[in-house]
Amino acid sequence: MIIDVQLASLFTAVALIVIGIFAAVFLDNLIKKVIGLAFIGDGVNLFLISMGYKAGGIVYIYLPGMAADWFAQNAAYPLPFALVLTSIVIGASTMAVMLGIIIVLYKKRGSISASKILGE
Amino acid sequence: MNLLIALMVIVPILCALFLNLLHKRDRTIKVVTVLLALALPALPLLANYGLHYFGGYAPLVENPTLSANLPSMITGTALNTFHPAITYSFQSAQQLFVFILGLVALLAIFVSLFETRRPSGVYAYMMFMGVAAVTAVILTDDIFNLYVFFEIAALATVGIVLVSNIKGNYETALKYMIMGSIAAPLLLLGIALLLGVTGNVNITDIIYSLKNGLVDPQNPVLLMACGLIIFGWLYGSGLPPFHTIKSAIYSKALPSGAALIQTFSVFIFVALGIIILRIFSYLPFSQWVILGVSLLAMILGITMAILQTDLKRMIGFLAVGELGYIGIGLGLSTAYGITAGLFQAVNEAMITALLFLGFGVVLYQTGVSDTRKLGGMMVKNPLVALMVLLAGFAMAGVPPLNAFQSKLMLIQGSIKAGLPELGVIMILLSIVTFMTFMKAFHAVYLRPQPVDLEIKNEKIPKATLIAMLVLLGVCLIFGLFPQIATSYLQPLATSLAGGML
Repeated sequence: MIIDVQLASLFTAVALIVIGIFAAVFLDNLIKKVIGLAFIGDGVNLFLISMGYKAGGIVYIYLPGMAADWFAQNAAYPLPFALVLTSIVIGASTMAVMLGIIIVLYKKRGSISASKILGE
Repeated sequence: MNLLIALMVIVPILCALFLNLLHKRDRTIKVVTVLLALALPALPLLANYGLHYFGGYAPLVENPTLSANLPSMITGTALNTFHPAITYSFQSAQQLFVFILGLVALLAIFVSLFETRRPSGVYAYMMFMGVAAVTAVILTDDIFNLYVFFEIAALATVGIVLVSNIKGNYETALKYMIMGSIAAPLLLLGIALLLGVTGNVNITDIIYSLKNGLVDPQNPVLLMACGLIIFGWLYGSGLPPFHTIKSAIYSKALPSGAALIQTFSVFIFVALGIIILRIFSYLPFSQWVILGVSLLAMILGITMAILQTDLKRMIGFLAVGELGYIGIGLGLSTAYGITAGLFQAVNEAMITALLFLGFGVVLYQTGVSDTRKLGGMMVKNPLVALMVLLAGFAMAGVPPLNAFQSKLMLIQGSIKAGLPELGVIMILLSIVTFMTFMKAFHAVYLRPQPVDLEIKNEKIPKATLIAMLVLLGVCLIFGLFPQIATSYLQPLATSLAGGML
């Protein structure tokens, strides 16, 4: 493999976070802002998943016949994966509320421009 | 295992879900909500101190039956003492915090039911959900669990603002959410970095790893994690640069909602501040960062409050300034200073709630919150005016009220810690707080009533008067007998100052 999978994931995560912050701060369209915010969340989730990666490791399911010592040494670290599931749910609910508010504001103001709606 | 510790979080969540089903049934909502809300301050009084392990999974060292069947590479190492489940810790300080949170929530819910023409189950849902989330933030020993409830508290805050129907509430809520959607993932990134370095999310285990050389405390990744967690702390509690959006959030909520939201901010500030002290106190700059940010919050919050003409916005900025006092206490890092800071947190939660409810009466009667358009309210409701005056005195630190005791302790603590300059600044800012409050009090109560000011509701709901009297009573009790509160806070403060947690 040319580049380590974990390192590549970490770089991608950082890129997603930076692009997300740029979009959230500099873009005027509220929907694009929300997409940028989703990028930040996704980047952090990818970062968390990368923490649990183990080169040459196995899935953390303890099957009958496995030696406990061998399993403990070779299984990937399961905690980050459990955390990411929760984080995805939180991210989805936050985004749903934000999009809901944008829909209401669009109906009231006829625009999704941040400078027009939030700039006052 | 103490089940009541978990119930302090589970009960408000269940209440919230139940009340959400009751919309459009006014009378039922009123009765059921008040009955359920009584559980909020009662549960922390009934629960015993101790730890609660979710799922019953105690550390292996406490479970010899399970550890007997495990290999020595697990039982013979630090893994034996690590916490496998989400752990909640309930001690005397947490008892006082959860009780005060529950009391303010009960009174805010009580007021909201009688001030609104049609009580909404959805509004009660948001309030209960926020209380559950902040209770979990106070109790949890798991930093990821803290993040989850931190986000739920932010969503509940937004919900309380959206339900208020005040002009501009949607815009303010969206701004708050956009900022939160940047700050909260960065907090999570800080937690991820901690997890990456220590392999743990349990705070006690993270500290164990740092203190026992399992990880290098000087690892630069930990510095970055500290910075990111501090950034999340600033957002959650509304410290600069988030102070303007936080005060805007207060001003777009109903007075009862604003009273509760500011209590959320105070306890999130305290809970995250304690965690930062516990994990990162070995870093020499962490104390100075806390002191610096708190000083900035005090100066910016109180000076910006002078400029405000909107009552709720003014109290919002004063509340941010008062958070600075709490932070100074934590930043002093001495047992006395931390006790003073935590005592100030308890006092501020009640005083600011009292001010929001008191000025909320003016809003209820006139529909106006602009001080330039108000006047003559002393004649309309002298009792409320007296209670608001006493609340303002309490906030400024006038004896014998509660914040006088905590501010005096803070000044003494700063002198004992060799930082008397902080004491001077705190005294000066208390004088400015007093001036700001008196300016608003004069505008609303003492000057003649403007000709065009219309009184829409002559009668004040009894619920509001009762809630204000209860809060003022507790403020007076804590002012006359401060040891009632400080005796609950001292054990935590001593442990934090001694680095024993």
